[in-house]
Amino acid sequence: MSVLGQPTPRIDAASRVTGSARYTGDVRLPGMLFARVLRSPHPHARITAIRPERALALDGVKAVITHQNCRIVWSSGDSRNTRYLFNNPVRFVGDAVAAVAAIDPHVAEEALQLIEVSYQTLPFLLDSEKALQPGAIAIHPGGNLSPNEAGVRQPEVYRRGSIDDGLRESELVYEGRFTSAHVNNAQMEPRVSVASWDGDELTVYASTQGISNCQRDLAKDLNLPLERVRVVCEYMGGGFGNKNQCHDFDLMAAVLAQQAGVPVRLELTRKEDYVAVHGRWATHQYYKIGVSRDGTLQAIQLRGYSDMGAYRKSSGSIAGIELYRCPHVETTVHPVHTNTAVAANYRAPAYPQGVFGLDSMMDQIAHELKIDPLEFRLKNATRAYHDELPYTSYGLEDCIRRGADVFEWRKRWRRAASDTGVVKRGVGMAMGSFAARVGRSSAVIRLDASGRYAVHVGVTDAGGGAKTTMAIIAAEALGVPLDRVTIVSGDTDRCPYSIGESGSRTTNFTGYAVVEAARDLKQQIETRGLPTGSVVLIGSATPEPVIKGAARYSFAAHFVEVEVDVEVGGLRVVKYVAAHDSGRIVNPLTARSQVKGGVTMGLGMALHEQLLYDPRTGRPLNAGYYGARVMTHLDAPDVEVLFVETQDAHGPYGAKPIGEPPIIPSVAAVANAFFNATGRRIRDLPISRERILEVLA
Amino acid sequence: MKAFTNVNPRTLEDAVSALTRSRASGARAVVSGGGSDLLGLIKERLVQPDIVVNLKTVAGLSNVRADARATTIGGLITLDALSREAHIRRDYQGLAEAAASVGTPQIRNVGTLAGNVCQRPWCWYLRNGYACYKNGGDRCFASSGENQYHAIFSQGPSYIVHPSDTAPALVALDARFRVVGPRGERLVNASEFFVLPRVDPARENVLQDDEILAEIVLPPAVSSRRSTYAKILDREAWTHALVSAAVVLDMDGDVCRRARIVLGGVAPVPWDRPRAAGLLEGQRVTPELAAAVAEAAVSDARPLAKNGYKVPLTRGLVGRTVLALARQ
Repeated sequence: MSVLGQPTPRIDAASRVTGSARYTGDVRLPGMLFARVLRSPHPHARITAIRPERALALDGVKAVITHQNCRIVWSSGDSRNTRYLFNNPVRFVGDAVAAVAAIDPHVAEEALQLIEVSYQTLPFLLDSEKALQPGAIAIHPGGNLSPNEAGVRQPEVYRRGSIDDGLRESELVYEGRFTSAHVNNAQMEPRVSVASWDGDELTVYASTQGISNCQRDLAKDLNLPLERVRVVCEYMGGGFGNKNQCHDFDLMAAVLAQQAGVPVRLELTRKEDYVAVHGRWATHQYYKIGVSRDGTLQAIQLRGYSDMGAYRKSSGSIAGIELYRCPHVETTVHPVHTNTAVAANYRAPAYPQGVFGLDSMMDQIAHELKIDPLEFRLKNATRAYHDELPYTSYGLEDCIRRGADVFEWRKRWRRAASDTGVVKRGVGMAMGSFAARVGRSSAVIRLDASGRYAVHVGVTDAGGGAKTTMAIIAAEALGVPLDRVTIVSGDTDRCPYSIGESGSRTTNFTGYAVVEAARDLKQQIETRGLPTGSVVLIGSATPEPVIKGAARYSFAAHFVEVEVDVEVGGLRVVKYVAAHDSGRIVNPLTARSQVKGGVTMGLGMALHEQLLYDPRTGRPLNAGYYGARVMTHLDAPDVEVLFVETQDAHGPYGAKPIGEPPIIPSVAAVANAFFNATGRRIRDLPISRERILEVLA
Repeated sequence: MKAFTNVNPRTLEDAVSALTRSRASGARAVVSGGGSDLLGLIKERLVQPDIVVNLKTVAGLSNVRADARATTIGGLITLDALSREAHIRRDYQGLAEAAASVGTPQIRNVGTLAGNVCQRPWCWYLRNGYACYKNGGDRCFASSGENQYHAIFSQGPSYIVHPSDTAPALVALDARFRVVGPRGERLVNASEFFVLPRVDPARENVLQDDEILAEIVLPPAVSSRRSTYAKILDREAWTHALVSAAVVLDMDGDVCRRARIVLGGVAPVPWDRPRAAGLLEGQRVTPELAAAVAEAAVSDARPLAKNGYKVPLTRGLVGRTVLALARQ
């Protein structure tokens, strides 16, 4: 029986739940010191003096680094500006000012209190549109509009057709403004790094989504040859995009360890995680959409502002336009700096907020035209990428139709505000798509006389079950039972290059390399026979697949029914159906978990999460799990998951991404269900009880 | 966190004398019940004690005793144990419901009744170390700042809301608090235990630094009396009430003899609504009457710039809670 497609528990589940799994936070090395970071209490200030002498004099303090004695550039901390480990001026509350290594965490914390810093405070900006107004203080030299890839300070623009003609010729034009809030990745495992030097060779135990890119960045920033840097991450506890590459605390741990001559462990608190790493960018979105009276889209124009916070770590795009077929499109997005926490990659970085705005608009237009929103989607949904490139496989329409059937959309959907009760029911839907890229990764499979297949892959298993996925793919490709496969992962000394668990690429990139390495090994077995005695056979592959003349995407359609209590403003999800085309499903058990997790995260973003700032002091007020209102178990709805398994010629056995897509439609689907229940549209996230009561007042 | 010395007293007298001795020597001492709030405050350096007096080692403070004159609850009973106590569930249902609604199972497993009553407010300015009244400063940052979770009933100068779930229930149930200190002990009515900011903006209750809330005394059960506690959160668990209502009804058939409505999450102390409750007395509880009671409960609300939604929220919660309890 085939292993692929069978619901398979994680191969490392027992070690994770029994506590025997060694996470980065569990690493203890002989003589190890503990480090803490001093952070700016000001949103924008010049450091005029910094005196670490009293901290250094404290018994047990072994090293202190500040911008004065550590001028290392953290290259992956900003793709446009020069971002040092310690910056002057500081540009947000939480910007690192100093780091201390001491014999225990308490001494390190005491030492932070003893570092004397003089600040000259500067005016600060918390709003992306205000940051672009004339006369606004420049957070980086040259202004607050972050440059595009060519280094020019212009917004990112995409065009097809002629937006002016399209809007002019449309029978009807609708406009709308939507905003989304900064939300944190809120992954379970805190941030921690343990750095250890052996002569001029550095080992960093990191909590990273990508050991290879972390290794590359560390080597680059510390000016070391790649082979002198080893990155280890045996188990990790989630990241959702904010643990990729190397982080400033990895570099700080390495520098402190070098200065102190012993290993250093640096762990952040949950509050530091919220303010000093990164979350999802907040947006302001202005839409103008032209349609003909029969509901055919003619023109879509988006002007958007993405709040990237103090540094530019990611694109700042506002995505979703590619979900619709439309002759005239123009999007103009401004990635803007403010004196707030950095915003960068978080599960489908540009999508849930973009689709919230766009699919709320589409829902509104369908309502105005008195068209069932399902029919509106079926009429206008993309059939070719940007109306141009064919898809390698296309399951969006099936996701809509089959999802609607399972949800019983035609029975449940009524015109908005049809329910006259105090508790009003309503339904909503939204769509999603996500690039299913292919590309270079490596795999090595070792077979000895014992008959065990050791698969060496540079994955870290950020939570999606990558080790299990790799084992299933290997067992399938080798034609052996799953228990004959061992996964060797999470160590750059023992594993070849892997893309890293970002962009939902691990299964597609590294999984495909496993298929190719298995093919290589099977050929060797065919020629040389199964190994005996001390013979070891090694299959390996570094495929670099490319797709020409077509676009490869995963698709989704989500359907949700809510109850809105108009007296007390509550919104409760009572039914949720998520239909996904992620090609062939390798492991239905973990794939379903991905969908449920993504929906749950999306609901948190839709209903109550946000990082809030005090306008007068520029300080975040509600950092952390308690304050920022992440989802709890009791908040998680029951999600019915439906897979539309299209046939795709690329990737391992035609598997397409499933990690990021599930969060994409969820926010818009709930927002649309709220509208359907009440007839009122909330255009600013989150759709909190407070906002619900305000619009219903 | 700042280093501190932990003291494990065996008796309440030992605990009080540890507090008194510390104060005499100029050290700052605090008491710890479950410690779930205190530990966070210490970690954030909002409290920097030299000595922590750990009440968990004091014997006999986590029981429920009932006789003909009173039901007495040890202040150290955990919220979980309190919520499961058969006698409390039967005769003081509102208190059991309030205890069961606190935070999360983890918090209820360690958090104590006295600790829940005495916990510090969760105003984000206070918890982020702003120099506000509650942190020993001289202003309230919420009054003109981010005040969506703040008081709709306060004459200032602080606009915090009292965070306890059990406190409104205890006030509604006419509890008395046994307070032990160096000058002996006193019984304080629950309604007089909590202090408004205009009396003392730095503290939430009458406890002096060397006093301990030892026990809570409830009047004996009455078969005609029923009680409930309802609250509304902005997620399903692990936040404090946006609004809560403890309601006690003394019923004679379907006629209400006497009623008590005490709100949480809307004022710096548990907020007694005698005028609204008075509308119920001698009446059958109809939906129309419940709506009138709910309206009366909020008619004098003075919301801040960002918490106007709490007015309809309170109105909605009071109306449906009163009606549901009357029909129970």
